[in-house]
Parts: sequence; C-alpha cells; structure tokens
Amino acid sequence: MPIIETRDLKKVFRSIKREPGIGGALSTLFSRTYEEKIAVENVNLSLDAGEVIGYIGPNGAGKSTTIKMLTGILVPSSGTIRVAGIVPHERRRENAHNIGVVFGQRSQLYWDLPLRESFELLRAIYGVPRDRYLQNLKHFSDILDLERFMATPVRQLSLGERMRGDFAAAMLHDPKIVYLDEPTIGLDVVAKEAIRGFISEVNRDRGTTVILTTHDLADVERLSRRIVLIDKGTVIYNGSLERLRTEYGTHRTLVVNLSEPYPEFAIEGAELESREQTTVRLRFDRAKMSAEALIRRVTERYSITDVSIIEPDIESIVRRIYLEGYHQPTPAATSLT
Amino acid sequence: MNAMLDVYRVYWRINILTTLEYRANFLMWFAFTFIYHGSAIFALWIVLHSFPSMNGWDFKDMAFLYGLWMVGHAINNTFFSAIGDIPEHIRDGEFDRLLVRPLDALFQAITMPGQIFPDELLLAITYFIGAAWLSGVHVDALFIVMVPLIMLGGALIDLAISLIISTAAFWFIRVDTLRWIVLELEQEFTRYPISIYSRGVRLILSFVFPFAFMNYFPATFFLHKTEAGLFLPPEVGLLTPIIGVVFVVVAYAFWRFGLNRYQGVGH
Amino acid sequence: MSLARRSFRLAPYVEFAKKAIAREATYRFEVFTAIGSFVVRVYLLRMVWIALYSRNAAPSELPLHAIITYSTVALLMGLVLDIDQTRILHDKLHDGSIATDFMKPISVPLYLFSDGTGEVLFHAALIVPSLILALFLVHVDVPSAGVLLAFFVSFLLGYLVGFFINFILNCIAFWTLEIHAAQLILTWVTDLLGGQIIPLVLFPLAFQKFIFALPFAAMFSTPLLIYVGIIKPARYLEVMGLQVMWLAILAVIATFIWRAGAKRVIVQGG
Repeated sequence: MPIIETRDLKKVFRSIKREPGIGGALSTLFSRTYEEKIAVENVNLSLDAGEVIGYIGPNGAGKSTTIKMLTGILVPSSGTIRVAGIVPHERRRENAHNIGVVFGQRSQLYWDLPLRESFELLRAIYGVPRDRYLQNLKHFSDILDLERFMATPVRQLSLGERMRGDFAAAMLHDPKIVYLDEPTIGLDVVAKEAIRGFISEVNRDRGTTVILTTHDLADVERLSRRIVLIDKGTVIYNGSLERLRTEYGTHRTLVVNLSEPYPEFAIEGAELESREQTTVRLRFDRAKMSAEALIRRVTERYSITDVSIIEPDIESIVRRIYLEGYHQPTPAATSLT
Repeated sequence: MNAMLDVYRVYWRINILTTLEYRANFLMWFAFTFIYHGSAIFALWIVLHSFPSMNGWDFKDMAFLYGLWMVGHAINNTFFSAIGDIPEHIRDGEFDRLLVRPLDALFQAITMPGQIFPDELLLAITYFIGAAWLSGVHVDALFIVMVPLIMLGGALIDLAISLIISTAAFWFIRVDTLRWIVLELEQEFTRYPISIYSRGVRLILSFVFPFAFMNYFPATFFLHKTEAGLFLPPEVGLLTPIIGVVFVVVAYAFWRFGLNRYQGVGH
Repeated sequence: MSLARRSFRLAPYVEFAKKAIAREATYRFEVFTAIGSFVVRVYLLRMVWIALYSRNAAPSELPLHAIITYSTVALLMGLVLDIDQTRILHDKLHDGSIATDFMKPISVPLYLFSDGTGEVLFHAALIVPSLILALFLVHVDVPSAGVLLAFFVSFLLGYLVGFFINFILNCIAFWTLEIHAAQLILTWVTDLLGGQIIPLVLFPLAFQKFIFALPFAAMFSTPLLIYVGIIKPARYLEVMGLQVMWLAILAVIATFIWRAGAKRVIVQGG
C-alpha cells in the first residue's frame, strides 16, 4: 500500500486577463475574461513508505504546485490524492501531523528567538508529549551538533547551522513523511555532506519517507534511488536512477585536445557536441562503436595531445532530457565490454 | 483544544522574555504610546480650554469618551495585534508555512511571538479610572458590570476591522497604508461626539464601521447626555458587546472566504 | 575621504530627483489613500470647528471661516511636510548599500536632498486634485497676492526646516537602526506643537511663548498665520528671520551629525 498516491492529478489556475494601458485597465472593470494556466496535469505518483525520491524539474515546471497539493495547502482541480491514507486538503490538520517540511530558502524557526524557544513553540503546536520531545531533541541535537547554539538567536546563526536547526524542527514530531525543498542550497561542500548524511540516517533509522526537491543533482545521486522528472506541468520520467543511467548510459563523451587548430573537424560515427579552439567534445554510442575504435579514427586524421572519456552523470542526462524531451530509446544492443 | 492552550502559554512566555530582553526598544515604544494618547488628550484639553462646550460635552466628558475607546483599542492591540502582520506573512510565504502545521492558521498568526507587553492596556485602564472619577459619572452595579463588557465589545469591533483589512491581503497584497489610515481615522473620529457630524457620517459610524459603539453610545448612556438630533435611544450603548460579537462573526466569515479562495477551493 | 576639486555637476542630482518621482508614482494605491484621507480629514476638522464655534464665543482674530481655511491649508501643507523625505538613508543603512554610495563620485547628502525633493515634488502635485476635492466641502479664503507670496516664501523656509529635522532623525540610524518609534513621536509632536491641528494662538498664553520659539512652529504655524492674516506684514521680516535662524542652527547640527555618521560607516566598513 503506497504511502503517497496520486492519480491524474491536475491543477489549473485562473487569473484575470489584464489588458495593457489605461483603456485596458478600465475595460476590466466592466467585463472580465479569465485566462487559465495548467500548472500540473496527469501527475501519477505512487510512493512506498521509506522511499527517498528526488523530485526534479526546471523552475516553473510545477514542482511547488505538486508539493503544495501533497501538503494540503492547495486544492487540486481534479484527480485523486492520498497521503498516508487521507486526502490532504480535506483533513489538513491530520495530514499536518504526518508530515514535516523544510524549505531551504525560508526557515521555519523564529528569527529573534533562541533556537531552543523555537523548538519549544513547535512542540506546543504539534502537541508532542514532553518525554518524546526531550528524547527527540537530545537525539537530533547530538547528531546535528546543535547543543552549541541552542541559546543563540536564530538570526545570528550561519546558514549551515540554521539548516540543521530546521531539520531538527521538522523531525521533532516524528513525521512519517518529510518534504525537503532545496535543503542544501547555499551551503558549502562540507555542510552539504552533513545534511545529506542526516537525511540518509533518518530515512534508514526511522523509515521516514523523503521527498527531495532540488536543483543540486549531487543530492539526488547521493540519496535517492528513484527520481521523478517534471517539466511544463507533466511528469516526463518516473523511475529508478539506475534505469535512467542505463537508458542514456550507452552514450559517452570523448574529449580530445588537438595539437593544432584544424579548420574543420568531423568524425564518422560520432556526434560533435562542442568545439572550442583545440578542445573537441564528441558524443558516441558505446553500443555502436567502442571508445578504442573512435580514438583510432580520430588519431588517423588528426594529431592530438590529450584524450579523456566522460561518463554520463545525472546532471548531463537531465539537461539533455530538458532540452530534447524524454524518449524511450530503442532497446540497446548488448553493451560491449 | 489542549494544543491551543499550550501554544498560548508558550506564546506569552516568549513575549515577555523578548520584551524584557529588548528593554530599550520597549521603552521607546512605550514612550510612543504615551505620547500618542497623551497628545490626543492634550489637544482636546487645549481646544476645550478656548471652546469649553462641544455640543454640550465638556472636557471631562470628552476625556471619559476617549478613555472608553482607549481601553477597547488597547485590549485589541495587546491580544490581537499580530493579525496586522498577516499580510506580510502572505507576501513572503510564511503563511503557507502556517498551513502546513496542524493548528488553525489564524490562531497561529495571532500567536506569533514578538515584543508584546500589556503596557498600553495598563496605561489605558489607569487613565480610564482617572477620567471616570473626574467626570463624576455615577458608578453603580450596572456600570461595574457593563463597562468591562462594553470595553470587550469595543475590542471585538477593533479586532473585526483589523481582520477584515488583513483578509483583503488575499487579494491586494499591500494593505499597510489602508490599515494605517483606518486606524488614524478611527482615533480621530471617535474623539468627538458623533452628533457633530452630518447624518450620513453618523450612520456610517454606527452601522458600517461601528466605532460609535466603542465609546459614543455607551458614554451617552452613562453620562446622561441628551442632545438634539440623537437618532437612537441612549440605552443602545449597552448593546456594544453584542455588536462586537456580530461584527467579529462577519469578519471571520470573510476571512474563511478569503482563505478558501487562497487555497484554490472551487477552481 | 577627500574629493578632488572638480566643477560641480548638477545633472546627476536632477536624475536622482526624477528617479524619486517615478518611484513614488508607482505606488498608485498610496496616492489614492493619501488623497482620500486628506479629504476625510478636511471634513472632520470642518465639523469640529463648526460645532465648537456654534456654542462658544469665537476668538476675535480667528472667525469660523478663517479657522476652516487655516485647517484646510494646514492639511494641504501636511501632504508635503509629513513625508519622511530622507527615508532612503535609513533604508540604505539597514541593508548596507550606503557603502557603495560613498564610493561614487557624488555628494551623498546632496543625493539625499535631491531624492527627497523629487519625492516631495511628486506629493506636491497631489495638492492640486486634493484642493479641488476639498473645495467641494469647504470654502477657502484667498488672501491678497502680497500675502500669498509671503506665505509661499515662509512655507519654503518651513519646508527646509522640516527637511533638516527629518534628515537629522534619519542620521540617528547611523548608530541605531530602531528609529521607527522616534519618528512617529516626532511626527506627532510636530503636528501638535507646530500648529497644524490647532492654531498656536489658541493655546493658553502660558504655553505660547515657549511653543512659538520651537522649530516646529516654523514649519506650520508661521506660514499659516501669515496666510490667515494674524501675522501682519510689519512682522514678516521678524518671523521669517526666526525661520532662517532655525534653518541655520539645524543645518549646522545636520552637518556635524552627518560627518560623525559617515565617518562611522567608513571606519566600520559599512
């Protein structure tokens, strides 16, 4: 029984069409035409408890609209949605007990208060029994190293410290599901790794389901096994990271440094991805031609100083999907070893 | 609900602690409160010094009138002032944050801790006692029972207006100027007996923005004022608590309407 | 912080003023509410004075029509005088952008002045529709041309006095950013003791000597009393001289505070 399930989820926003100029402004006083914008459409999700999924898409793709519907803030235009067995917007408060939310760009901690007071107030809001609260507080304080600044006003904390505080705040009431929106944004490498470690541990130890919305695909690679790609309001990929790598994985990029700036460069069987002075990037299908064969072809025609092969990473795969759209590739020939 | 009481308790604890910590700031704001009300009373005194009677009301009557308004207004400022911050929450996304938590969003907005202290309320009550004594108003059982209720009713009227303005933020985003103007006009119009205004304005102040019920009608009753052109019997001043409740209910209905629309119900 | 002696360019400051005007024009809602609340206040004061004059002896030098004129003109002046013209100084100190302003080849105080002037010019334009609307409600006496001229000169002097007071207050933000309460207090005090709401001649005599000496009187009361003729032409030089004196004193204070504050920013690095 999946913990989150949506079927044909759709959200349409109606706004008043504004005509330009003074005449336009006056005319809207008398007769209004509405324009409709479909924010999300045909979203079908099915998440099991304990999963960690990455929810990825360009800005304006519909990610936050989906999250708002899942958290009960926004009412869908049509379609069904169930989170932990209840319909979020119908039983908002009950749903709220089951979820925790971390917005990377906006803290939920109270700016002027010492960290401890924020936790205290949240405890009261969520109605966490005192002993459970103290237990959780101690636990998260230990693994996130919060004790040092429990008495510091939140506005004096660094971004990394504040983010750790936000995590603890989101987990205090033992939510079944946690929505993380850009949790590592703006953090340095060390802090990012700490947060990722924490997410991973929480998922492992408590079986918390995690929905991770992020632009940093390293987060996704590190933490989730499944990703959902959304673009222009529809889900274009919903499956495992592995499968995505395999489907796009037969492509490689060969980077060649030429010894002189040849006026023309072309190689049969490989696609010229980019050319900058003496650096050339070639994309080739490993299933059709081996790297060795390609390098031989290149050196036959041109003289080179250096060569390297780039494996496809999630970043480049996703970028390509944004640009080209996702299409199920033809079944790959057995890969050459 | 238990959670609400718990939150309310924590809210006040944090308020008081924060106020005590930012003492200098608190003193500054108290000075402002003092001067805000003080200059109004002082202006009344100056004017009535040269013009002793305003439609039959003298300075002592006007001082009492102001005091009645002041306490109701102060009750609202002390317990519900956070409602004025709701438009900012809507603007910066904090309001969505409130909707994600398992507690009524309006209640959460009201109980956002800040530097809230009942100094204005204490000042108002002290002032009122002094003004009541000075005016020689007859203090009987009815007075003792009804006046606190009237003040609460007045606070509800103030609260309702504030809530309506905040609800407008679901549509208009920036309502600070509107709020400021309404507050200023409220203070200025309620300073004087409404009998000095034209009929249309009197009706507006009685039934559209019922500020007249905050202080004028109750004062007319307790001070036994009889004026030509009074279009309602003075006993109407005792209805203030009911008017307050009705107005709050209307404002709350408007709030729920705005909230539903914000959440996309019916789209 | 030494500026090489260059020929003074007016152009950038004119640009600043224009920008301020454009910026204020975008706040359409604020414009409507400013005019709206002005009209309501004109009505309110008219009813108050009528009620007061109907049952009490009127002061000889201030008949009803004169005091209604006084109040209306005072409110019109308020459209311009009640603005926090150097607010951007406080904003810039708050977000730190003041530091970049010091790096530019302009005089920052002049920049603030031109910005404030632009803002005020925009609000001054509101006087026209406001006055037209007010004339539906009240009758405003119009004095002779000579008196009117004296009024405008005195008004200008009063405006400059107000500008410096406002500037000095915003300069306090160099030391503490929490000046909001102080500003509100100052506005209240100015309006009351400046004679905007109640003509200073109606104050008890014991107070009058003291109040007339304050700079606030220079902002509202002096020009207004010229307008309604209570200050006769024989005294023009005397009262305007007092305004100029306050102007000079405040300008000196402003210079000192500004220097101290600017030094603080540069020493502390913004």
